[in-house]
Amino acid sequence: MSAAPGLPELLQLPFLQRALLAGLLTGALGGVLGSFAVLRQLSFFSDALGHSALLGITAAILMGLNPTLVLVPFAVLFALGVDRLARRSRLPTDALLNIVYSSSLALAVLALSRVRSYRGGIEQLLFGDILGVSWLDLGVILLLLLGCGGYLLLSRRSQILLTLDEPLAISRGVAAGSHRLLFIVLLAVVVAISIKAVGVLLISAFVVIPACASRLVSGHVGHYVLGAAGLGAGCAVVGLLLSAMLDLPSGPAVVAVQLAGFLVALALAPRGAGLAP
Amino acid sequence: MATPVLDVHHLTVHRDAVAVVDDVSFSLAPETDTALVGPNGAGKSSLVQALLGILPRSAGTIRLLGHPLGPRGQLPAAVRDRIAYLPQTLALRGRIPLTVAEFVGLGWDSPGLSLPWRAGPGRAGAVRTALGSTDSRDLAERLISDLSVGQLKRVLLAFCLVRPRSLLVLDEAQAGLDSQATEHFHTLLYGLRRSEGWTILQVSHDLEMVRRTCDGVLCLNRSLRCSGSPDHALSPTQLERLYGPGYVPYHHHHPNGPAPR
Repeated sequence: MSAAPGLPELLQLPFLQRALLAGLLTGALGGVLGSFAVLRQLSFFSDALGHSALLGITAAILMGLNPTLVLVPFAVLFALGVDRLARRSRLPTDALLNIVYSSSLALAVLALSRVRSYRGGIEQLLFGDILGVSWLDLGVILLLLLGCGGYLLLSRRSQILLTLDEPLAISRGVAAGSHRLLFIVLLAVVVAISIKAVGVLLISAFVVIPACASRLVSGHVGHYVLGAAGLGAGCAVVGLLLSAMLDLPSGPAVVAVQLAGFLVALALAPRGAGLAP
Repeated sequence: MATPVLDVHHLTVHRDAVAVVDDVSFSLAPETDTALVGPNGAGKSSLVQALLGILPRSAGTIRLLGHPLGPRGQLPAAVRDRIAYLPQTLALRGRIPLTVAEFVGLGWDSPGLSLPWRAGPGRAGAVRTALGSTDSRDLAERLISDLSVGQLKRVLLAFCLVRPRSLLVLDEAQAGLDSQATEHFHTLLYGLRRSEGWTILQVSHDLEMVRRTCDGVLCLNRSLRCSGSPDHALSPTQLERLYGPGYVPYHHHHPNGPAPR
């Protein structure tokens, strides 16, 4: 067995550079969106989006198309459909989401197992593949980060009111319906774009864990959102580096680092902050 | 006669295919204080939320300050700015770390997109004045999640007060308050109503308070059962029609409040 490559040599590798850059950007993006998604109880929704993304990837492979280009419109349509279903149905939302994500995972794996020409292997899709990030992906992620950042910055007052109390927000003239749909679309796109490096099974951790860790230690909205972004970006970079150095699957490596960050935040949190109603 | 602040014609609201508000019409003259009373489940909150576009309506027209409310709750921003809604409580106030001053500032802002460095002239001053007028200046830097119910109500009042308003809609303002805090809140509200020229529509369970402070009463039990001055609308006969036979007009008994008369 040859010695593991050192950090300097690893950083010379173009694919790792791309992966780190992608991790930095998607980590920040996941943190920013997650800080509102978590408070609006959309954590489970992002989980369902992640799992269903495999169905989109499968469709792309079956049709012989670039998965990134198929995945984004697929995720958006899927998210809007599930949102509509959840609001129309009398069934509890978490139960509906469970049905959606387990069945899309099952169908996708069934379909993939029949595709002989598919070389990548299901495991990379489930747990992330550091080799998978292309320049096209990076470009899309950057555009997305700018778009999301701009939207949330300009509408931050509406976002805060909506998170605090939706009826109050509507009474102030906030277009709650449009903001809700736009937010869900953004969440769907971010999840779809981040899938490659993190994998289908763990993508929702990108949205949920940095935001929760930041919430534990923040006493101010601005600090909370920026903290979530910084934590998301930092954990992604550290996790991907560890994954490259120790030859670990990238998704679980990032999530393990996020967990460490969360535990530190839990220890630092003012007494009772994590448990306040 | 002056244009009514609020004009409602044949309003019907459905929830899960059940008409919770059925063919209700009324109007509010400027600077009046009207109470909306009725038994639990009578549709009071639904009515109030439909008036503000929070709940969709299935029939009827609503005009606020002379402007029609669109079918999906659309209203010109300038009209929205002159209307304030005071919910029973902020159910999710523990979720987001927000100080009292930041929260009250949200009441000042117009909805829509805005650049972060354009706070708008007078915002900070308006927030300070509103907090001062509601005896809440010392709460400015506290988190809204840390407030007592009484403090939160005063801060909600500051949220309404931070900008000149014409119409204030209160959904059970006294819910969760002890008698002393209720008294304090109503004294504040009564004084501000006079100085600000507010027209008030308030959902209330406290018939005693309604008798003492309101000019008009709307009795709702899905449809409008009666309306008029408190003396007329809250007479024993009318109350029995509203709440059903055997109804004893109730006072709010508070564990540490004054003994019932």
